[in-house]
Order: sequence, then C-alpha cells, then structure tokens
Amino acid sequence: MRVANKAIYDSVKYNLGSISEELNKANEIVTTGKRINNLSDDPVGLTQSLNIRSTLASIEQMGRNISYGNSWLTTSESALTSVQNIISDTKVLCIQMANATIGSDQRSSAAGTVQNMLDEIVSLGNTDVAGNYIFAGSKTDTVPFDQDGTYNGDNNAFAIKISKNSTVEIGSDGEAVFGTVFNTLIDLKDALQSNDVGGIQVAMGDLDGHFEDISAKISDVGSKMNRMEIKDNILQDLNFSNTERLSKIEDADIAEAIMNLSAAELTYQAALASSSKVMTLLTLVDYLK
Amino acid sequence: MSSIGMVLNIATTALSAQQYGMGVTAQNIANVNTEGYSRQNPVLVAKQPLLYGGLLLGRGVDTEQVSRSVDQLIENKLMQEKSNMSSSSEMEKYMQVLEGFFNENSGTSISTMVSEFWNGWYDISNNPSGVSERISLYEQSVLLSEQFNALGTDLIQLDTDLTGAVTSGIETINKITHEIAKVNGQIVSMEANNVANDLRDKRNTLVSELNEYLDVKAFEQSDGSLTIVAARGCTLVQGNSDYELEMGGTNGDRVTWQNSSGSYVDITNYLTNGKLGGWLDIRDEIIAKNQLDLDALAKEFIWSVNQQHSQGVGLEGFSSVTGKYAVTNPGSAITSSGLSYQDKVDDSSKTFNIWLFDTDGDPYDADTGTTGLQGNPITITVTSGMTTNELVTAIDNGTGVQASLDSQNRLNISIDTLEIATLGSLAFSDDNSNVLAAFGINAFFTGSGSGDMGVNDTISLNKNVIAAAQVGSDGTMASGDNNNALAITDLQSATVSISQWTCDRVNGNTQGSIISTIEDYYHFMVGAIGIVSASVSRDRSFGEMMVNELSTIRDSISAVSLDEEMTNLIKFQHAYAAAAKLIGVADEMLNTLLELK
Repeated sequence: MRVANKAIYDSVKYNLGSISEELNKANEIVTTGKRINNLSDDPVGLTQSLNIRSTLASIEQMGRNISYGNSWLTTSESALTSVQNIISDTKVLCIQMANATIGSDQRSSAAGTVQNMLDEIVSLGNTDVAGNYIFAGSKTDTVPFDQDGTYNGDNNAFAIKISKNSTVEIGSDGEAVFGTVFNTLIDLKDALQSNDVGGIQVAMGDLDGHFEDISAKISDVGSKMNRMEIKDNILQDLNFSNTERLSKIEDADIAEAIMNLSAAELTYQAALASSSKVMTLLTLVDYLK
Repeated sequence: MSSIGMVLNIATTALSAQQYGMGVTAQNIANVNTEGYSRQNPVLVAKQPLLYGGLLLGRGVDTEQVSRSVDQLIENKLMQEKSNMSSSSEMEKYMQVLEGFFNENSGTSISTMVSEFWNGWYDISNNPSGVSERISLYEQSVLLSEQFNALGTDLIQLDTDLTGAVTSGIETINKITHEIAKVNGQIVSMEANNVANDLRDKRNTLVSELNEYLDVKAFEQSDGSLTIVAARGCTLVQGNSDYELEMGGTNGDRVTWQNSSGSYVDITNYLTNGKLGGWLDIRDEIIAKNQLDLDALAKEFIWSVNQQHSQGVGLEGFSSVTGKYAVTNPGSAITSSGLSYQDKVDDSSKTFNIWLFDTDGDPYDADTGTTGLQGNPITITVTSGMTTNELVTAIDNGTGVQASLDSQNRLNISIDTLEIATLGSLAFSDDNSNVLAAFGINAFFTGSGSGDMGVNDTISLNKNVIAAAQVGSDGTMASGDNNNALAITDLQSATVSISQWTCDRVNGNTQGSIISTIEDYYHFMVGAIGIVSASVSRDRSFGEMMVNELSTIRDSISAVSLDEEMTNLIKFQHAYAAAAKLIGVADEMLNTLLELK
C-alpha cells in the first residue's frame, strides 16, 4: 500500500491520542483510588453503590435511634429498681409496724418515713431524659405525677423506630406502671397515723402485688434492652458488610491499578519513541543533491 | 526542411509537457499537508502521427489532462463516518456535562440529601418536642428543595445551550452550502474545457465539512455540479443556488427548511448524524427525558410527604391556614379544578376531619358545641363530583370554622371570627379523600416539579407547625406524640407509582410508570445516565477508529508521497534535459546545412 506523508503524521496523532487517553484513565484510577470516577465508568456498580450508601445512612440513623432508646430504657430500669427497693423497704417497715409490741407513737413517726418514701416514688415517677418525662406516655413535656400521685400523662407509651418496620416503646404509660402504689402508700401512712394494724396488714398485702408488678415491668424493660442490643449487633454486622461491599464496588484494586498504569506508561513511551523515529525519517529529498 | 523542423517541433512539445509535469509535481509537493487534497498526475499522450512520405511520423507529446487520484466511494464512506463520529463526539461532550450535574461523589448530591431528609424525620420522631431537630429538618429540606431546583435549572440551561449550538450550527451549514453553490458555478463554467481538479477537491472538502454538521446526500449532475439533499429530501444546493435552513417554531428551537412554495417545513426530528444530529439527540431525547423524569420524581416525592404531613399536627394548631395550590375553576369538580394534584383527590364519599381547640388547647366537641377534656371533630365528606365552591360551603357550614378562596383561588380555613374569643386553633386528621394535601393545606413542601419545589413558608415562619404528631381520636394532642413523624419515616421504604418517560425524536414522548421507592427511582435515573454516557463514548471511540482506518485508505489513494514526487521531479527533469538536447542537436543539424556554401 502507498504510504503518503500525511498518513504517517495522522496515524502518529491518532495513536498517541488514544494511548494518552488510556494513560489518563489509568492515572485517574490510581490517584483517586476509585474505580468509578464518572457515572459512565460503571453505571451498574454505581447504582448498587448508591443503594448501599442509602442503606448505610439508614443503618447509622437506626444506630442513633437505638442508643437514644437505650438511654431511656437504662434510666427507666434504674428508676424502677429504686422504686422496687423502696417498696421492699416499705414492706419491711410494715412487718415491723404490724408487730403488737410497737406503740402508737412509734407508728405515727413511721408515717413520716412513709411520706418520704411516697415523695421519693413520685419523684422517681417524674424521671426525665433531657427534659422528656419517660413515664408520661406521649405527653413527654408534662410532669406526669402530682405529689398525691395523680397522673397527668396519657396512656400512649412513647415509641421509636429501631428498624424500617419495627418500633419499640421506650417510654411508659406511668398510670399502668405505677398502678395504685401511691394510694397504697397513702393508705399505709393513714393507717400508721391512726394506729390501725389491720390497715397496715392490708397495705402489706398490696405492697406484695406492687412489688410483683414493678418486677414484671423491670424485666420487660430488660428484655427490650436485650432486643436493642441484639438489633445493635445486627446493625454493626450490616454496617461492616455493606461498607465492605461498597468498597469492593467503588474502590480500585491499587495493585492492579498501578500495574495498569505502568503498562499504559510503557505503551506510551514505546509509541513516543517509535513515532519520533518515523517522523524524523529522511525522505528522498535528503538524498538528492 | 520538414524533418528537422519536425524534430524541433517534437522537442518543443516535449519541453512543455515535461515542464507541465514539473508544474503538477510542484503543486503536489506544495499540497503535501492539505486536508482533502488529491494528488494529481499529468496524463501524457503521443500526438496524432502524420502521414509523411508514405510513412507515419510522430508529432511529439501532449498533456491530455491532469487526473486526480481519487476513489469517490471511499470519499463518501469517509464523509459518512466523519458525520457519525462528529455526532457521537458532540454527544459525548454534553453527556459529560450531564454526568457532572448528577455527580454522586459529593455530600451535596440529591441521594445523600434525600437520605438525610428521612433521617431528619427519624430525629424528630425520637424527640418530637425538640426545637433543634425541627430546625435541622427544616434546613435539610430547604437544601434538598434547592438542589432539586438547581438540577432543574441546570437541565434547562443545557437545553438552551444546545439550542444555541444548533442555531450557530445551521449558520455554518448555510455558509457552507452557499460556498458549495458558488464552487458548483465555477466548476460548471471551467469544465467546458477541462476537469477542474482543485475546485473539485475544494468542493469535496466543503461537502465533508457539511457532513460533519448533518447527514446529506450528494448527487453529481451531468454538467459537473453537485446537488445536495438533506433529511426528508429537502434540497440544500442545486446548481449554483443554495437553500437556507432557519430556526423556527414557536420557541425558535426547531430547524426549518423553506420549500419551493415558500412555506417552512420542520425537519428537526429527521436530522440524524453530524453535530446537529448529536445536539438534537441530546436535547430532545436525553435532556428531555431527564427533565420529565426529575419532575415526575419531585412531584411524587412532594406529594407523598404532603399527603402524610397534612394529616398531622405540630406542637400547635392554626388559627388560619391557607393552601398552597390554586384552583383555576372553583365551579368545576375538584378532580378537574386545575389543582396540580387534582388526580390524587378521591371523591368517592371519602372524608377528612377538622378539630377545633379552645384558647387553652382543650378540644372542642363539634357535636355538643362545648369544650372539655375530649372532643369530636367536624367531618367533611367529599362527595362525587364535589366542586371547590361546594367544598368551601361544606367547611363553612361547620360550627366555629369558616372557609373561603383567597384572591389567588387558594383555599383558606380559619377559626370563625365570631368564635375567635373562645376557640384558639384548629387542626386536621384522617384525610382519606386527599383533599387537604391536594389543596396544600398543612403541607410540608410546595410546588409540583423540580423547578418550583420548596418548603411551605408557613413552616419557615414557625417550625412548631412541622406535624410530628396526630390528633388523637378523642381530640387530644400531646407534644411527645411522634406518630405522624413515624408515618413519614415509613415513606422512605414505601413504593409508589412514578411516571417514567421515553423520549424519541420521531415517535415523540411517551409516559410510562414504574413502582419504586423515591430513592431507588433516583438511583435508577443516575445509573441510566451513566449507561447512555458509556455507550455514547464507545460509539465515539469506534467512530474515531473507523475514520482513522478510512483516512488511511483514502490517503493511500489520494494523498501526496514526497518520495514519489521527488522521483517524478527527477523523471521530468531528465526528460526536459533530453528534449533540450534534442533542440541542440537539431540546431547543429541546421547549422551544418546552413554552412554549405
């Protein structure tokens, strides 16, 4: 085939152009460390990575929700444990005060102790996390219990989401949790003041019931915390596996990328060397004198 | 005398023929780098011999013509491939711009912002009475809306830029066709005697340039002129006349051609290949589709959030609330009233509730007309074919509440001015008719597309109306209620039917739909842009390769090789010297004769 002078220059231009395009691409992958630098580099991989990133953002949010929920549940647990201790202390007091050897003035001074215990339980019922009352149902900005135990909250326990489709009640309907414990204490206090041993015995029986109820509630909170912990572990696993998948899709295999870059470099140098030879080749003109 | 004179004559023809040959060689050498130049060869023929003394005697040499080394088939194929390549290389450029708009490798991408929007609602559901969560969600939503707006504007700008490119493209086309017509005229007049090689090369180059802009067919007429026809048989050049293309159509963005009867024909959709074809493909298929899809996405996103939000209540109710969507005809059925979301309204006797509260926030019992710890709502039933005016009347009839259309035909619902002393606020719930969201009452977003999406200004003025709660069935409200916020977070994984467009320049735009979540739809959209872009890049690099191959073939036939020309130069030089020698010998012979005395 005839080779025209113009064809030599044109082909040098075309070949150097396409090799430097390859070199540039290889260099981009090495310098960014990413396989996908433009949408068109791997559209399918990109769509997957977008989905994973959105999943990761959700996982992170669920993690925040769980740790927020945990702070409520831990506070509930410790408040309820204190309530349980007070109830059990009150029961001990009842047993002492029901004894026939106890005099009326000892009983009436014990009434003061019961009042303190009542105040203590009311204050535990009004426990809050960062200003939100945890035993007020969904009326989280309302102080749930008055001094006499009157309930001001509502019966919808405060719940949050810990996954796309499951919610957990982290707050409680205070009325259901505390039941008639306030009335029992008030009755007990009255019985002590009026030296009514029968009344003390009735209260003693009621306190057993309350103790059981609060215990049940504590184990309920405990099981929720357990559920949260399991969920949290799952989330951490998911986070790990998704991050790994994302990296597999998006990140370049550096060793491979550098190999490709070196290969492209070598091709480019060879092309430059051969092009410069072809272009400086003498023509017949140089030999005619 | 005759035979020596003849030698002189023959030598003279040889001298001029070799000189001519040198001239052609010089022309070839001079054009070694000229694009589109075809090397020329003098075609030498022996002159007609003469019968002399009973014998035939040669009369020398003649340059019959100067031929061009050209294969028109290859030239045509090359033009066609160049046309393909310039189409895909223009498309590639604009696809890269488009890819940039949807760049997902940054924190300000729509998909990141949508994720953060939902997370904002989760934060509110964790702490419904919190102020900072509300402000953060609001800011997040404004950024998201602005991002949609910016993307919408970028697409419109790209559309305008492409129309600009098409406009300047047809100016260039008109210049080229004008030039071709002129060259046609010159060729016809020159070729009465000889083949106008250089003019033909020039015309070929012009046709090739024209092909880079649009796909044309060229036919050579018997008089040597070239007729050029573009899409749909519209003639651009005939003889020495050219017919211009013009921008036309209502928006001035269509390519039109004036036919022989003087009327303009829109040929936009029939222009394929060339830069023009590439620009139009990007503008009318790819940009158009992405604009429509982005709008469809924004529309459905706005709707699903509003639909849930409008049924909730914030930390406080409204004393008066005005919808964000206007009707064009209050007298016609709501479902055909001109509301942006009229097709979402269900008027098969579905209902919504309006709750009233006294100044202390206690619910009002619409059944008994008293306030207390519990209340009952005013329930509005949306009957089949109900008009906006009828709806206004139905709400207005409720005790303690009044309704009207404002000057822009937007629905306003307020506490009755007569009851304002006792009743403080109102709220909404349980809307299965979708009327509240369709009128934009208690809406979160405003607008119905990517361009006009925004956050309701009622919310920007008072973050407390972000509706994280729902009014209880007994009319009670609690600041810690997060039921509506939780319902909104459900939307993140809810699938909805979203329009999806197919845009084709010949068949027009067709609307389909897919069932998908908001996020998946967007991810799919971005992926699709990447796929188109990748395939356009492949086309470009294939086209480039084809052009390179064909150019090599073309050059092997037509381009100049200096080695060859040098050889020719020496060939002609030696022949010239020999012819000169011939004259010298003839001269000597004549002298010999003349010296005979």
